[in-house]
Amino acid sequence: MDGINALIDGFGTALTPINLLYAVIGVVLGTAIGVLPGIGPAMTIALLLPLTFTLEPTQAFIMFAGIYYGGMYGGSTTSILLNTPGESASVITAIEGNLMAKKGRGAAALATAAIGSFIAGTIGTLALALVAPQIVKLAIQLGSPDYFAIMMLAFIAVTTVLGSSKIRGLASLGIGLLIGTVGIDPTSGQQRLTLGIPQLADGIDVVVVAVGLFAVGEALWIAAHLRRNPAEIIHVDGARMNREDWRRSWKPWLRGTLIGFPFGAIPAGGAEIPTFLSYAMEKKLTKHPEEFGHGAIEGVAGPEATNNASAAGGLVPLLTLGIPTTATAAVMLGAFQSYGIQPGPRLLDEQADLVWGLIASLFIGNVILLALNLPLATIWARLLNIPRPYLYAGILFFASIGAYAANTSTFDLWLLLIIGGLGFFMRRFGLPVVPAIIAIILGPVAEEQLRRALQISDGELSGLVNTPFSKVVYVIVVLLLVVPVVIDRVQSRRRGGDQGDQGDGIQDAPSLGHQHANQEGQ
Amino acid sequence: MAIVVGFVPRPEGHAALDRAIEEAKLRRVRLVVLNVSRGDALVDSRFASSSDWEAVKAKLEASGVEHEVAQTVEARDPADQLLRVAEETNAELIVIGLRRRTPVGKLIMGSAAQTVLLDADAPVLAVKAARD
Amino acid sequence: MSSSPTAAEKGGRSEYGVALLLLGLGAWAIVDALGVTDTASRGPVNARTVPIAVGLLLILMAVLLTVDLVRGGRGEAEGGEDVDLSHGSDWRTIGLLVGSFAANALLIDSLGWPISGAILFFGTTYALGARHYVRMALISIVLSVGSWYLFFLGLGIKLPVGLLKGIL
Repeated sequence: MDGINALIDGFGTALTPINLLYAVIGVVLGTAIGVLPGIGPAMTIALLLPLTFTLEPTQAFIMFAGIYYGGMYGGSTTSILLNTPGESASVITAIEGNLMAKKGRGAAALATAAIGSFIAGTIGTLALALVAPQIVKLAIQLGSPDYFAIMMLAFIAVTTVLGSSKIRGLASLGIGLLIGTVGIDPTSGQQRLTLGIPQLADGIDVVVVAVGLFAVGEALWIAAHLRRNPAEIIHVDGARMNREDWRRSWKPWLRGTLIGFPFGAIPAGGAEIPTFLSYAMEKKLTKHPEEFGHGAIEGVAGPEATNNASAAGGLVPLLTLGIPTTATAAVMLGAFQSYGIQPGPRLLDEQADLVWGLIASLFIGNVILLALNLPLATIWARLLNIPRPYLYAGILFFASIGAYAANTSTFDLWLLLIIGGLGFFMRRFGLPVVPAIIAIILGPVAEEQLRRALQISDGELSGLVNTPFSKVVYVIVVLLLVVPVVIDRVQSRRRGGDQGDQGDGIQDAPSLGHQHANQEGQ
Repeated sequence: MAIVVGFVPRPEGHAALDRAIEEAKLRRVRLVVLNVSRGDALVDSRFASSSDWEAVKAKLEASGVEHEVAQTVEARDPADQLLRVAEETNAELIVIGLRRRTPVGKLIMGSAAQTVLLDADAPVLAVKAARD
Repeated sequence: MSSSPTAAEKGGRSEYGVALLLLGLGAWAIVDALGVTDTASRGPVNARTVPIAVGLLLILMAVLLTVDLVRGGRGEAEGGEDVDLSHGSDWRTIGLLVGSFAANALLIDSLGWPISGAILFFGTTYALGARHYVRMALISIVLSVGSWYLFFLGLGIKLPVGLLKGIL
């Protein structure tokens, strides 16, 4: 078990005072932004990308991962107390969690969410530590054609699995690939899509892109549709989890972990599908079906465990293959790139300190998060009193400072505004943002793999599909593209053919009010 | 003629409401209870929850005074909303609750009470919660 | 998941603009790529390949989107945890926000971040509806001066000082 030994070394790295400090900063920040609706881990990490100019990579990633995990904890607090999810990953939690709180069982709901998150986060991180070295062993044998195939799979999966319209998803992917292409082509040295502007020759800085799409675009979008009604917050006192609650929670926690981890590891849009599956499963398995819809604790315990496990699962492809499966992971990949580190199978060898320190700090972060959230959830909820103007003004403020600091040039500020405008219009017209950000960050890597693969095959296109692995992956890609269309056709024919929309979302999802399916967290 | 009271679900708000009910009984006029929010934060602790609001209504019913209640969310300042209602109802008295605050705290946080005191045409009765 | 009827219905004609944008971007990618001369690469894939492929993808999506729109498809405006789609876009707020943002971009080099950043924050809070001017001004100044020091001392990045040169 080389993973275990490496992990013990990792604890040595993670437990140094300075790294511990960044872990604490990360989880505190993560919980805070998790509580606040409208601000998610992807946006926060994007806003913090300027730190990568000076911070040690290990410390930066310890903090970023803390934000990722913390966001999952904080989101549940808002869901339960307010019936407005703090994060899209905790949409499902809001259903039963808020009903529990209304019945005076808020403290129990918060507790089962926090403990479930802790258990799932810990098991998920352990699974990450065990699985990652195994995947690396397989991945090390993969060549450029295989990587190119995996990246195609990531692009197609993230565009087609979720979202209400495949056309708009693919359009968003195209826009992302286009932005990723801007700059000097590293292979030939030719300028592409630079319009002759010298500042574009180096490509668009990842800070500007990520901050523009997630922070500026989102802030503008929210500003145009500011919610005016104060939500009713439920005051929580007394009535912690009793014996019965524990008895009813532990199985959903474990089942949620089991569902969340693998779903997090595949590019299927983050935590939304698995949390919904967990909810549906608990509803089916419960001995108290009459309580569902009236505040069933299983409906909180399961999905909350699931979303934390999926966060852990999402780190597997990121660290072993360099493939992001969610917006947050994509921004983290962007951070790796700005350090000049390309995550992939060699990362575990070349940056062993970084990776294992990161994983170890996730265990520590989970403990801190439990301590921060279990007794203090209602104190975190006070953040909800911050007036929106200050919140969203703060986002634009830090977005500007970060974009300017990237190259200390006002050109980047104007670029930021343009990309922010793009982000606004994408949200306005239903073009999902996640495929775009993944394409921007992964696109150039995919192009490099493509050209390397063809160099090896001496220009023969068959070189792209000459390994069994790549063949299998392309079959999956084709299935992803074709099967939903066929199902759609068959269904619409049965319905009389008059509903030719791309209704490929979760058909029987409970009514979630204002939630878009393809939004993993800003 | 009427008495207008700005209610907040806090001790000073309850003190103001109690005092306003007494005044309405003495003067035998209608009481208008107002609870307003700018709605700019996700949670506004000055906006009464439905259970708070039910309690207010129950208290008014029990008091027997003629009354009217309104709970509104408008982008304008809460103080302005209160003043507008006072004008519309031709109020003879405005009752507000006052928090105990330091001068510096007041400067930073602003004060709805100050706006009411300065701009109101009707006499204003400012009530503080009992010290505990 | 279609709780956004107003925004979606209003979309109407402006949605064709999206298709037009995709078409324009696609055409730009292809035209730009055709102007690239790549002598270094062998075989069918060179510096032009990816831009052309992306351009074709965008044009194809523009066409498919148009077909979808003609058939009555509508882009679903993105909801969110703090988004209220029941009213239309508030263009006045957007205008003021963009104005504050542009003011910062124009002024940062001459006035310096401590001043332009404060203008940005004050302007954006005003745009978003805050009216406690004293509080807004105090927070703006503390944030912009504080962040200048944070970047200078913490990260070693010297943001423009502008007018306050010698004071900070």
